Formats: sequence, structure tokens, C-alpha cells
Amino acid sequence: METTGYVDGKLADVLREYDAARFSGVLRVAGQPGGTVYLTDGRISACETSGAPSLEVVLLRSRTVSEADWDAAFTAAAVSEREMTAELVDRELLGAGEVEALLRIALADAMFALVSGRVDGWTEAPAADCLLPLAPAARSGWLLAEATRRGQVLASFPGPAVRAQDRIAAAPGAAQAGRVLGRGQDELLALADGRRTVRDLAFALGRGLFETMLQLARMRASNAVIIIPYSKEPPSPGKPAGAVPDGAADDQTVTGLPRRRKDRQPPLRAGEATRRNFAASIRMLRPRSEGNPMPDGT
Amino acid sequence: MSRLQESLRNFLAVEGVRTAALIDVATGMIVRSVGKPDPDLAATAACVADEARAARSALGADSSAGDLLEISTVTGGRLHVSRILRSWPGEGLLLFVDLERGKSNLGLASLRISQLAPAVLV
Repeated sequence: METTGYVDGKLADVLREYDAARFSGVLRVAGQPGGTVYLTDGRISACETSGAPSLEVVLLRSRTVSEADWDAAFTAAAVSEREMTAELVDRELLGAGEVEALLRIALADAMFALVSGRVDGWTEAPAADCLLPLAPAARSGWLLAEATRRGQVLASFPGPAVRAQDRIAAAPGAAQAGRVLGRGQDELLALADGRRTVRDLAFALGRGLFETMLQLARMRASNAVIIIPYSKEPPSPGKPAGAVPDGAADDQTVTGLPRRRKDRQPPLRAGEATRRNFAASIRMLRPRSEGNPMPDGT
Repeated sequence: MSRLQESLRNFLAVEGVRTAALIDVATGMIVRSVGKPDPDLAATAACVADEARAARSALGADSSAGDLLEISTVTGGRLHVSRILRSWPGEGLLLFVDLERGKSNLGLASLRISQLAPAVLV
């Protein structure tokens, strides 16, 4: 990707410059997670990034709008060349004020994911349409201030700040009967398997990235989850991230599940030993008239 | 003109109102606000969202999110009325109204706010 900017945290300055210059167009940001920022007269009308769930994901996963209703609205908007937001309002799936509020929340979350990630560079592109633009668009200054505030909130929790790529495991005993978790924490705990990242959980549950990070920071503080810091090496398939190191006294992962070992044969399931013996007997009875050697060479 | 700002402006007509804001309960973010500029509003919004979450927790695990309707806080000089507008998606949206205590009556303000609130998200 050819970059027109060279950044080390300068994206915020550039967005402010675009605001002052009343730039209209698209900014494709390279990096991790990277994304696309849609600008109208210097203001930001949308941000698409793989780092945070879009409003579509939030509405569908939270079942605020059913998939059937969404598909019908999408088709009608495409056929009549109307904006999807207008279609959602006309079909009384959402109120006009509600759409604006939810779009601002989703936009702030996407911008937080974008600017708090790694930015390698960016390219300008001509103005383009996006599915759910915010109208009126938001000032970049407000979005950047909100992203800064979010970073400060996460940093205020004890321990290292939660990051989008960190993996989450349920703490031992977190799911004990009778333990009361905060609202929305049960679902997070059920999906915290030591392999899913914070971002994965946000997408799976249709919640904002920051909302998920904040909830997990609270859950870590109450010893409900363990946050496994991001490392570039993905966890090996046979060993859940955060597992107790080899040689440890107990033979369980931090999630309380039996730890899988490469050098250990899995225990036979019920009936499996009988099936294996039966298969061996069948092989012994197989005719050898065609001269096919037996496995033992006879 | 923002639809949200338009509907929030209606609250400024209530006697004693300084600021009206729509707050995302899950994040403590001010979605939109109208009224007198207040440099502390962002911090206040985050605290109000915390209060709403704490109040829901205090209601117990058996209560639904929709059980919490309003939180009123009275200080020496101010009245804060926080009204839940939606309980989903996430943790919902909350209307926060900051009033001058000397110019307001909590009961009347609460009644007037509850009458205007349903129109905010429509």
C-alpha cells in the first residue's frame, strides 16, 4: 500500500487538519487493525474497521433488529436507492434519534479501535458511499478526545491495561454456583476460553470494543477472568493460552479443564477398546489369497 | 441540525435546567448534550453511568434491566435527574438533566422530564 503519510501517532493531527481544511473523501488507514474513515466537510461520518463491531453487528447480535427485518430493509434501501438509516426509521425498527445515538456510539468505538491500534500510514481516496453514515457527521476533535478518555479509563484499573488482542480465560471458580456476576458478565464468562481475544468477544456478543474491554477490566478486578497479554506467537492448538506450565503439580489449565499433552495418548472413550479389538480381529480373518502381506509382514 | 440535539433542547425550557445530555451507560460517553458549557460534564457523565450500573446491581440479579427508571441526586446547589431511556443494546441510554436547585422543584422537574423523555429517541 502506498502511503501518503508517515505516522508515529500522527493520525490524530492529520484528522484535525482535515477538519480545518473541510476535506471530503475517504482515508484508508493501514495498520493493525487499520480501517477506512469517511469524511464529509472535514467531519467524520463513518469509520469501518475490523477492530470494532459495526452498528450492523451490534444491532443483529443484540437482536435489537432481527436478521429478517434487516435484510428486508437493506433490500428495500438498495432498490429505492435510499439510505439504510432512513429505511430503518421508516420501518419503525429504530427511532430517528436512536439511530443517531447508536451511530455516534458505534463511530466513537470504531475510532477508538483505529487510533489506539498501530497506524502504519494512510492514503486519501475520493468520496465514497458507506452503508450507515452518521448525519450530521461528528467532529474529529470530539472523537479523538473520547478515544483519549477511554484510554485513560482503561489505564486507571490496576494491572496492565486491557488490549483488544489480549486473550481471555475464565478464572478458576469464576462460574461457581451462587456467585453473582454483574450484568452482561455471564455471557462474557461463557465465551472466555483462553483462545478468544477481547475483540473476538466484542464481535461474538455484538458489544462495543471499549464496552467489552471495560467489562473485562472490572471482571479481572473481581477475579472472574484472567487476561492473557497479547503475544505475536499464537497459542499452539493443543495447548490453551494461559495453561499451567509443563511440570506443574496439577494437570489442568487455568480454566479448570484437563490439559492436553502431545506425549500422552488420550484416554479411550467408552466402547472404543472393544471396537479396536473387533477391527483387529476382522483384519486377521481377511483372505490373503491375493498375496497381500499382513501388517506384520506374513 | 442533529435530531438528538433538537429533542434535547426541549429540556432547556424546563425551569432551572442548565444542561441536558444523552449518555451511553456502558461506556459513560456523552452522546449529545445541550445547554451551558460545562468542562466537568464528561467526568459527571461517567459517574452518572457508574451510578446507573450500581443501582441496577443493587436491585439484585432477579430484577430486569428495565426495572430501573430514574435516579435523582440532590446536592447543595444542584439537582441531577437521570432517566433510563433504553436498556439495550449494551447497557442502554440514559438522559441526564442538571438543574439549579434554587430554581427547581424536584418533583415537578422529574414529572416534566418524564413527559419529555420518550420523544428523545423517536
